[in-house]
Amino acid sequence: MIAPAVLMVLTVMLTVMGPALLRRISWLERSPRIGIAAWQTLSVSIVLAVLLAGLSLAVPAIPWTINLADWIRTCAMALLAQYSTPGGAVVSATGAAAAGAIIVRVTYCLAVDRAVAARTRRTQVNALALIARPHLHYDALVIDHAAAAAYCLPGRVRQIVLTSAALSALDHNQLLAVLAHERAHLRGRHDLILAAADALQHAFPRVTIFRTARRELGRLVEMLADDSAARHSDRTTVATALVRLAEHGLTPAAALGAGGESAPSRVRRLISPFRPLGAGRSTVAVLAMGLLVASPIFLAMAPASAAGTMDPCPKDTQSMTM
Amino acid sequence: MVRPLGTLEQLVMDRMWSWGHPVAVREVLEDLQRERTLAYTTVMTVMDNLRRKGLLTRAKDGRAYVYRPAQTREQHTAAFMGEVLAGGADTSVTLLHFLDHIPPEEVASLRLALDTHLQGRTSTTP
Repeated sequence: MIAPAVLMVLTVMLTVMGPALLRRISWLERSPRIGIAAWQTLSVSIVLAVLLAGLSLAVPAIPWTINLADWIRTCAMALLAQYSTPGGAVVSATGAAAAGAIIVRVTYCLAVDRAVAARTRRTQVNALALIARPHLHYDALVIDHAAAAAYCLPGRVRQIVLTSAALSALDHNQLLAVLAHERAHLRGRHDLILAAADALQHAFPRVTIFRTARRELGRLVEMLADDSAARHSDRTTVATALVRLAEHGLTPAAALGAGGESAPSRVRRLISPFRPLGAGRSTVAVLAMGLLVASPIFLAMAPASAAGTMDPCPKDTQSMTM
Repeated sequence: MVRPLGTLEQLVMDRMWSWGHPVAVREVLEDLQRERTLAYTTVMTVMDNLRRKGLLTRAKDGRAYVYRPAQTREQHTAAFMGEVLAGGADTSVTLLHFLDHIPPEEVASLRLALDTHLQGRTSTTP
């Protein structure tokens, strides 16, 4: 019964301390790729910890031994013991139900989000067919509109859309930077990273960590695309394109604050000296992420492996086998 | 690049928007037929689809129906872009914007930061 308790403690610790810790590590922005992986790892570890807590309630700790016959016998004994103790069956059922509910809920939210996204993409494609024209030189569709805007439609359509105001606000190099940024989104399937984060956020709306993770991932994905655009032109050009589009875009009042305002931090990041993350820190980050994912798995297995080192079948219980 | 679908709808709407007066299916058909051969029923189906999508409205003129755009091209585009830029729950999941919304005072401070950076660069390079 120790594993579920320890796993729940781990869940709470990760939920409370994880986001604060990750947000304090400012050098994550220097490598958006590692930053993205870090937030994903944290989210996965939390889900995994709760899931394993449920499963370890459902299934009693079964000692690991190399001897298969012993293992099967102890398995059966442990299960018999679990179901013969008063309330054991209830505890097992609760654990299994909790784990099952989590899996069903996340899968359901993922499916709903995918359906909504597919529908939005279809309306976009249909609407764009009527009002947008392909640009003669750039690989993008152009809409006649007074507010500067640039966006892309990910998925199967893979389309970049610019407004005429964006075209006139930017010079050739800045345009190339914007297009490279959007292409990085499309090629890197950044929409899938955000879709996964969205599904978690929708599945557990009260858990703030998933909301924080979604916001941070949104920001890091933009920074990743900025870096890719900067490799095609240079960082100042990307920053200038950002500021010029911001100056020529109209901000609908209703939308304020909806996106978490990542643009200021992106511009400041692009104009400050570029220092990519060193190999040392990258290694530390990757190792830490490995530990993070491994911790719930280890904690779920620990009682079993501890039991495995003991005598699986003490003499006095051997008589009461099946 | 994948070209969006519905090119016939696009051709019809282009004409409807540029004409700006109510027209019968036959007029649209005759104009389209200068570029390619089309059946009357094809054009009629397309225009009826556009009507059901809310892009065209129709009224009875004698024995035939006449169609006109529900909105001008500008109005239609503005409504569409308004939705895209407002980033409602649906579009924020699907579309990746180059830029999210920035308050005006923040834009000014970004411009200042950028100009300072640009000046710093030009003064160091002779």
